[in-house]
Amino acid sequence: MEALQKIAKEALASKEAAFIIGYARVPGSQKTRPFIARDEAEAGQLVFDEYCQNNLAVYLTRIARPKEGKMGIVAKSCDVRAIVALLQENQIKRNEVYIIGVNCSGVVEDPAQPLSKENLAGKCNMCQAPQPAGTDTVVGEAKPYERADDKVGKLLAQLDSLSPQERFAFWEAEFEKCVKCYACRQACPLCYCEQCIADKSQPRWIESSASVRGNFAWNMIRAFHLAGRCIGCGECSRACPADIPLMLLNRKMGMIAMKEFNYRHGSNMDDPTLVGSYNNSDRNDFIM
Amino acid sequence: MNYYITTDEKLRELVRTLAEQKWNIISADKQGTRFMYINDGKDLTVDAKARPTKVSAKQFVFPKSEPLFFFKKEHDDLKLIDPQAVQQKTVLFGAKPCDAAGLPIMEKLFNWDYKDEFFNKRVENTVVIGMACDYTDEYCFCTSVGLAPDSEKGSDVFLVPGADNHYVVKEVTPKGAAFIAEFKAIFSEAAQGDIKAVSRTQPAPEKKFNVDEVKNWLDGHFESEYWSKAGETCLGCAQCAFVCPVCHCFDIVDENCAADCGRRVKNWDACQFGLFTKHASGHNPRETQPDRYRQRVSHKFKYYQDKFGETLCTGCGRCSRNCAVGIDIAEIVANIPM
Repeated sequence: MEALQKIAKEALASKEAAFIIGYARVPGSQKTRPFIARDEAEAGQLVFDEYCQNNLAVYLTRIARPKEGKMGIVAKSCDVRAIVALLQENQIKRNEVYIIGVNCSGVVEDPAQPLSKENLAGKCNMCQAPQPAGTDTVVGEAKPYERADDKVGKLLAQLDSLSPQERFAFWEAEFEKCVKCYACRQACPLCYCEQCIADKSQPRWIESSASVRGNFAWNMIRAFHLAGRCIGCGECSRACPADIPLMLLNRKMGMIAMKEFNYRHGSNMDDPTLVGSYNNSDRNDFIM
Repeated sequence: MNYYITTDEKLRELVRTLAEQKWNIISADKQGTRFMYINDGKDLTVDAKARPTKVSAKQFVFPKSEPLFFFKKEHDDLKLIDPQAVQQKTVLFGAKPCDAAGLPIMEKLFNWDYKDEFFNKRVENTVVIGMACDYTDEYCFCTSVGLAPDSEKGSDVFLVPGADNHYVVKEVTPKGAAFIAEFKAIFSEAAQGDIKAVSRTQPAPEKKFNVDEVKNWLDGHFESEYWSKAGETCLGCAQCAFVCPVCHCFDIVDENCAADCGRRVKNWDACQFGLFTKHASGHNPRETQPDRYRQRVSHKFKYYQDKFGETLCTGCGRCSRNCAVGIDIAEIVANIPM
C-alpha cells in the first residue's frame, strides 16, 4: 500500500502523471471504489487489495484527457489486458498512460465477505497471469490463490448441450429482466463508442423499449460488438442490476475467437485486432 | 383502525385463491433481484429480513416500457388503436416501507399538469400489502428522509411480523379494508394486543442527514465546487434511476411493428445519460457527468421539494448498493460542506 502511494505521489510530483486513477477505501468499510487522485495528499488515499474489483481501464476513454502529463492508472493484470486492448484499438497511445501495475492475489466476488475459494471473482478463475506485464512500474506481491469452481464455464457447457429452442428460451427469460439502464455498456472498458448504436435515433437500429424484442436486439448487438474484443473482466455482469449473466455471451464469443482464430484480445499491444486483420489461413468455408 | 392476524401459510392460500380469480399477483423473487408476477403460493416471498430487491417494484405502476397507442396505415388513412385498458386487479405482496412509499410520491408527478391515466389506473387497481422491515445495512437511510422501517405510507394493508410465523395485519386504507373483507378466511379478527409484534433484530438505519438543511444548501449552491468531485467517477449508466422506487423520468418514442404499423411507447429515461439533455443542435446544458450527478441530487432533495413538498427519495439505498463504482448518494448528501 505504501509502495503504491509512494509511486503515485512521485508520479504526480514529477508531473509524469496529471492524475492517478486508482482505488480508495469506502469510509467505514473494507470495500473499495474508483478514486481519482489529483494531488499528493489524495495519492495518500490510494489502496490496493483483494477488494479492488473494478476494472479502472474504463475511465481511460471517459475521463477528460489532461493537457499536460499522462493519465496514471493502477492496474491488475486483467485491467492491463483492457489497456492493451485499448492500445491495439488505437483509443489511447502508450505515451498517454502511466501504468502502475499491481501484483494481484485474486479479488472478491462479494465485497461484503472476505476472499476465499468460494468468494473469488469469476474472472480470477480464468486469470492466466496475476503479474501484470508491460507496465511502467509494478508494486506488491502476487500470492498464489486457490481457484474455485468455474461456474460460468459449467453453465456454458450446459447451455451448449441444449437445443437452439431451449437456449432461446433461456435467453428470453434472462433478457426479459433487462431494464435497459446500459450499466453493462458504461462499465465496459471496451464500450467506448462516442455514439452507441443503441442511442442512434435516425435511423433507430435498436428499439429503446425495454421489451423482449428491444432487449434481445440490444444484448445481442453488444455481444457481437464485443466478439473477439471482450477481455473477460466481468464488469458488465457485476454492474447489471437485473443479474443477467452477460459473461456467458462474452465468454462464448471469446472461446470462438480462440478456437477459430487462435486469438486472444489484449495480449500484445503490437498485435493487430481480430476483426481488423486478415490472414490467409482464416476460415473461409462459409463464403459461398 | 382494525387489526387482524394471519400466517405465512394463509398468505400462500390467499395467493392460490387470487390466482384462481385471475388477479395479477406480484412478489419479490427468491434471489432478491426484483419483483415479478407469480401464480403459485409456493413462490410467495414475504420476508421482513430480506435485503430490498435490487430493482424496486415501481414497474408495476410505471412499466419500463408502456404502449400509449398503436397506429396502422389503412389505404390512405391512419388508424389509431388504444392499448388494452388496464383492468386486471393486482396485489403487490411484501412491499417494504421504502418501496410502498414510492407510489404516493410518484402520484404527485403523474397528476400534476396532466393526469396520467395509465399510472392512475394501475395504482387504483393495485392493493399494496406492505410489510415492516427488519433489514439494515450501510446503504439504508429511510430514517433520513422521513420514513422508518414501520412506515405505512403507500400501503393499503400492512403486515408486522409476530411470533410463531404470525403477522399482525393492519388495515391502512379503505381499499385495504375492502380487500381484507373480500378475503375474510385469510385474516382473522384480533384486538391490537392479541399478538405481539416481534421486535426488530436489526437497529433502524441511522439518520445520516437532515433533509431541510440539505435543501437549504442546495438552494444556494448550484455552482458549488463540491459537485466536480462528487460526480467524478460516475460512469453515466442509469442503474441508479432504474432501480429507484421514485425516479420517474420517461421518454416517448415511436416504434414500427411492420412497414405499415407501429406504436407510441413511454419508456424509462434517466438524467445520468448524456443524451438526456442533449439538444438537436449538439449543445448539451449538462455537459459533464458531475453536471448530471448534481441534477440527480438536486431533483431528489430540492426540485421535487420545491414543486410538491416532498423528498424524491425513500432511502432504500438501492442506487448505492448496486452502483458499480460505489457512489453512495446518502454519503454524498451527508458530506455536503454545509
